[in-house]
Amino acid sequence: MISIRDITVSFGGVTALNKVTVDLSDKVVGIIGPNGAGKTTFLNVLSGFVTPKSGSINAFGTEILGLAPHRRSRWGLRRSFQKEQVVDELTVEENVGVVLDSLPLTSGEREQYLAAALEFTGLTSVRHARAAGLNAFQRRMTEIARCAAGKPKVLMLDEPGAGLSQNEVDVLRRTISDIHVFNGAMTLLIDHDVDLIQAVCSSTMVLDFGSLVTSGPTREVLSDPRVRAVYLGVEEIA
Amino acid sequence: MELASSMSRSNDETVGRHGLPVFWPALLMFVVAIVLPMVAAALWLKVMTSVVIYALTAASIALLYRKLGQVSLAQVAFMGCGGWVALRLAHGTTLPFELSILAGGVFAAVVGMIFAYPALRMRGLYLALVTLMAAGGFGILVNVTQFPNGGDGFMGFAVKSVSYMPRPLLAQSDAAYFRYCIAVVFLGFGLITLHERGKPGRAWSLIRKSEAAAMAVGINVTGYKIWGFALSGFLAGVAGGLLAGNLQLLDARSFPPAESVMIFALTIVGGAWHWYGAVIAALLYRFVPALLNDVGISGDAAYIIFGAALIHALMTAPRGIAGQLTDLVSRLASGRREGR
Amino acid sequence: MGVYGLFLVSGLAVGALYALGGVGLVLLNRATGVLNFAYGAIGALGAMSAWQVLQWGYPEPLAWVVCLAIGVALSTGYGVLIAPGLAHREPVVKAVATLGFGIAILGAMNLLWVVNPRKLTLALDSVSLNILGLRMTGTRLLALSAGIAITAGMGIFLARTRLGLMMRTLADDRQLAAVLGTPIRKVETIAWGFSGFLAAVTGMLFGDLVRLDPAVLTFIVIPIIATTVVGRLTSIKVTFLAGLVIGIIESFLTLYKPLAPFRVASPFIVAILVLMWLQRGRRLTFAGAD
Repeated sequence: MISIRDITVSFGGVTALNKVTVDLSDKVVGIIGPNGAGKTTFLNVLSGFVTPKSGSINAFGTEILGLAPHRRSRWGLRRSFQKEQVVDELTVEENVGVVLDSLPLTSGEREQYLAAALEFTGLTSVRHARAAGLNAFQRRMTEIARCAAGKPKVLMLDEPGAGLSQNEVDVLRRTISDIHVFNGAMTLLIDHDVDLIQAVCSSTMVLDFGSLVTSGPTREVLSDPRVRAVYLGVEEIA
Repeated sequence: MELASSMSRSNDETVGRHGLPVFWPALLMFVVAIVLPMVAAALWLKVMTSVVIYALTAASIALLYRKLGQVSLAQVAFMGCGGWVALRLAHGTTLPFELSILAGGVFAAVVGMIFAYPALRMRGLYLALVTLMAAGGFGILVNVTQFPNGGDGFMGFAVKSVSYMPRPLLAQSDAAYFRYCIAVVFLGFGLITLHERGKPGRAWSLIRKSEAAAMAVGINVTGYKIWGFALSGFLAGVAGGLLAGNLQLLDARSFPPAESVMIFALTIVGGAWHWYGAVIAALLYRFVPALLNDVGISGDAAYIIFGAALIHALMTAPRGIAGQLTDLVSRLASGRREGR
Repeated sequence: MGVYGLFLVSGLAVGALYALGGVGLVLLNRATGVLNFAYGAIGALGAMSAWQVLQWGYPEPLAWVVCLAIGVALSTGYGVLIAPGLAHREPVVKAVATLGFGIAILGAMNLLWVVNPRKLTLALDSVSLNILGLRMTGTRLLALSAGIAITAGMGIFLARTRLGLMMRTLADDRQLAAVLGTPIRKVETIAWGFSGFLAAVTGMLFGDLVRLDPAVLTFIVIPIIATTVVGRLTSIKVTFLAGLVIGIIESFLTLYKPLAPFRVASPFIVAILVLMWLQRGRRLTFAGAD
């Protein structure tokens, strides 16, 4: 379980996150909210790129904020970005394997984890291909393979479905649903595609203007009038 | 299908990210090492030796540029640091030549790491400017301290009765020293390749793409960046030691910031993505001007072409001459249109 | 005023040159986003051409005209023909391209003029004035007053005129400027042209007061860049003051025996210290699209 307590982030005069407090404990948790709500900032706090003014995050017993950013990956926190960060001149397996480089593994173990991650994301046939030759969907899957390799504890995916066709989103959906079975990790998923969120996330949290609007089982959250108001900007009269 | 052609491109060992495979450069260097001293006149031999040495410097620049995306306008200053230490040890101790230049390399690496620290927080233009300022400072510094040449005291500089740095035991003659430099530079290129094909190479690639993504993947960005500067400084420092051995002394006036700027420009023109790009850069830097002087034209007139070539490289041929040659070879080798 | 006064004025004289050069560089950087490494080379070619004109026996005013014309032509030429091709690249790439331009100009100068010691003598050299008990040649005074005039003029120009406003908009946010209908190309071309004019003036004065040598004048851009660094590449006033201060520091270091031989490194030391100060407390940079 991840316990987030009173996380507050300000940039200059703007409060990007305002005392966000929530417990996340499902296998796949959705994070939704309009543009500028602070979703990516929230992930950035978890990743360590942004230091919150106050608050704490305890994930599976570890105080995350006490770890240096690059150590969080070794602890088991993985992240994908809105714009995929796949290195063109490296091959698929090198792009995925880089996450295993910082772990104390024998070369046999490394190969095992690598092969498993590639298999999981359907990239085994292109593992020796240079990333430059891949299409957008394959690049995205490479990033997800990188997140899923080894024994991570938390995967954070930032709008992985953006720019993909409906078929590709379906494959993505199945992959995300299978993450927990594959490596036991929890997944935090930011996306604007409500169908995707509904399909894979058992619980969801909603941010708006840096504040937590609500969180809980996805179906309840999506039918909550406050959540609709957030997206439509209209106060629903109950 | 796009995927198939890209797969065959990467499986094809004759081209791709690594350019030509290791066998060919090794063979070429071996042949050149044997043949050249036999045919070249004395002056040309010294010129070609300096070409080999500056190829190592160019490689150190290329490493920083292509792997870390950093522009260093101070590599000749690093050569000066390495050369200074090598000369000091040669004149003050009985250490063998090899250890003197290694010590020079280590000293330059340490200086590189010291400069890496403030540089860590800078990017792009600011970093380039910091190196430029450092090169400027070094140019002044070395003109005050001069290079050791057998004199007394810590600085070891004597105005008169200059001593010459002894050549390595294995390579006393100019011809032997030429081969010696080829061997050392070959090892230097090998060191770069070892890094690139291993963990540091992958880490640097990701750092260049996005430092945030690199951190998210567990890469110690600070550590790897500092290591990159250290390696680059080490190679330039060793090159400086080799240069000291070539001329058997170093002149402080040869290390102004302008020289660091020039060799950087030519490294881009030669091509920072392949090892032979560094060789081309060194040929442009030392061989072409010597050739022009020989024919009676001012060597510096070549700058017109160098400058234009730099602009051209930046606009349309980012991988430089080496990149264009590689593309050409790959097109001829595969027989079908590849690349853009 | 005594000895210190002497060094102060001497320092101002040196600093004025640095300052004048820096102002031209910063102005261009603000309007176009390009740090012009070819600034020294442009001025050098202007100065060498002026010298040649004088050698051929023509009067000095013509030499000035030729020098300024060459400066404007070279700078504008680059700005119109080459700079647009790199407009969307990172600042460091744009700067390195100007480096290529500068190297090419240096090559041309080496082709046209054999390396020989030369002296550029301007009419104002023989005029000298007493400032606070010290003699300053007319040329040095010209450098100092030109620097002051241009800095002050620039401030007014950028703040009060329509063209100045457009330049500031461009410097702040190029895309926004385009949306607002700023004629980007026209404004940039004017900026390049004026920067070339200043480069020519700087080159001429450096050629007279320091040394008339193509390589020396080309690479004098390096200490000039030091002044722009202090001005964070954007502030004309700070750059100007930085130039003067660096000149004064350089001058006063003559008095402090242990550091005296290193005084010519003052621009570099100051720039490095300022750079490190400016970047203090910044976290690691984030390259890439994140």
